Amino acid sequence: MGQSILEARDVNYIYSDGTHALNGITMAIEKGKTTAVLGGNGAGKSTLFLCFNGILKPRTGSILFDKSPIDYSRKGMKELRSHVGIVFQDPDSQLFSASVYQDISFGPLNMKLPQEEVAARVKTAMERTGILHLKDKPTHSLSFGQKKRAAIAGVLAMSPQVLVLDEPTAGLDPSGVSEIMKLLKEAQRDLGISVVIATHDIDIVPLYCDYTYVMDQGSLVAEGTPHNVFSQKEELRKVNLRLPRIGHLMEILSKKDGFRFSENALTISQARRAIKALWESGDARKER
Amino acid sequence: MLSIDKYAYSSKLAGIDPMQKLFFTFITLGVCLWANDWVISLLVIFIAVGAAVIKGGIPIRIFAKMLLIPMVFLVIGVLSIAINASSSAEFFLISVQVAGTAIGITSSGAINAFNLFIKAIGSVSCLYFLSLTTPITDLLDAMRRLKVPRLFTELMGLIYRFIFVLLERSGTMFTAQSSRLGYSTLSTGYRSLAALASTLFIDAYRRSDELYTSLEARGYEGELRVLPRSYNKSRAGYICTAVLNILLICTALALRHL
Repeated sequence: MGQSILEARDVNYIYSDGTHALNGITMAIEKGKTTAVLGGNGAGKSTLFLCFNGILKPRTGSILFDKSPIDYSRKGMKELRSHVGIVFQDPDSQLFSASVYQDISFGPLNMKLPQEEVAARVKTAMERTGILHLKDKPTHSLSFGQKKRAAIAGVLAMSPQVLVLDEPTAGLDPSGVSEIMKLLKEAQRDLGISVVIATHDIDIVPLYCDYTYVMDQGSLVAEGTPHNVFSQKEELRKVNLRLPRIGHLMEILSKKDGFRFSENALTISQARRAIKALWESGDARKER
Repeated sequence: MLSIDKYAYSSKLAGIDPMQKLFFTFITLGVCLWANDWVISLLVIFIAVGAAVIKGGIPIRIFAKMLLIPMVFLVIGVLSIAINASSSAEFFLISVQVAGTAIGITSSGAINAFNLFIKAIGSVSCLYFLSLTTPITDLLDAMRRLKVPRLFTELMGLIYRFIFVLLERSGTMFTAQSSRLGYSTLSTGYRSLAALASTLFIDAYRRSDELYTSLEARGYEGELRVLPRSYNKSRAGYICTAVLNILLICTALALRHL
């Protein structure tokens, strides 16, 4: 594994009502990569994310940003929050201003940047998320997908090094999902930021993510590249997750129908390659 | 209210500095109230309607419809001024005798009432011009520049934003309830409405919590700082307002000396 930008070391968090939300989580977010945190509802993903940004302070254990433990003083928090940005699940709970433009300007203004710099950053963030044409529109006239983009722009305008997104694809239609994911990939490529996404949209993980953590009831149950993690089928099913659809199909084909694929395909292109390879080797035809 | 909001954002004057519109509205309103003359009031109505319809692109039908809203209150108020009671019927234009007292309309009462009526319509037109051509977000910008206390502008902004969020929520809940016959009879209707209101309250509370968290994540330190919008540089609004109002004042003074 390469250099890590954000790290959780044996983090425990207990809510005031006694819920043990995080149970000894150790996790490293690699610089410049996309990391997925998979887990069913109530697995503790959101709590962990709030710890990454310093909103919640772990009871025991520590969070490290860029190799050093985060500083919970006022100044330290200000610094951290300009480096680690969170996009929350419901944009309606994140966008506080009725003006899209003004909402996006909020974060960079809190960083005490000069007005011209803020204006430039807001414009760039809006261009990057494809909402520049909505500049003078009121927030309530936007579609859900557009609001989501505005929420992302509001965090991108702060030029964070790590972008943390809670369920970025929830509630979007299929084309909306791929647009948002493409947008994130482009932002990552151009700005070199690290992206962390919490999701239960399993099919996007092998397509867009480099590394995966699987959480259940506040604990880490598996980690590795998507390939690695999705080969641990039984663990995944135990924690109410599943394989990507394509992976599931390939599993059935090899288990029940005796296809002998050379690779463990999880995406359409991988499956296509595996099936073609099999076809060309003639094995599939012999089976019939 | 929602359609006013829509017109305000799509108005041709939406890109103009809200200060100019505030200046126009309140100066003209002030002159209308000061002059206290039906001719001036009538002129103010024409100016405000003209500005909203011709310059702002607001359909005249909408403006007229909105003017109907205060009409009920206005008519009741005006009637109580127009109608007087007296022991003799000689001063009245029209009167009826009720138990030895004459109740009716005197000429001065009628003039007073008419003056007041037109003056009220004129003032309301000025305010309608403002609300139909100025989005709330611009108005808030202007209020910030006028150094209105931050608490006030921030609260106003948040309330305005969340009116729409909660309205959408309550709409969805209402549909869900009515699709299960929640409003089929009066009594179930009341019960469903109570459930809707309490759920909405809890929802609003949860949202406020989430909003606070997300603001904190973006470095909130107790102040909702935002960048003011940039507006059209033209100062034509100030000049127009000044010229029109000087003309109005001159006319008013001339009418007084007639």
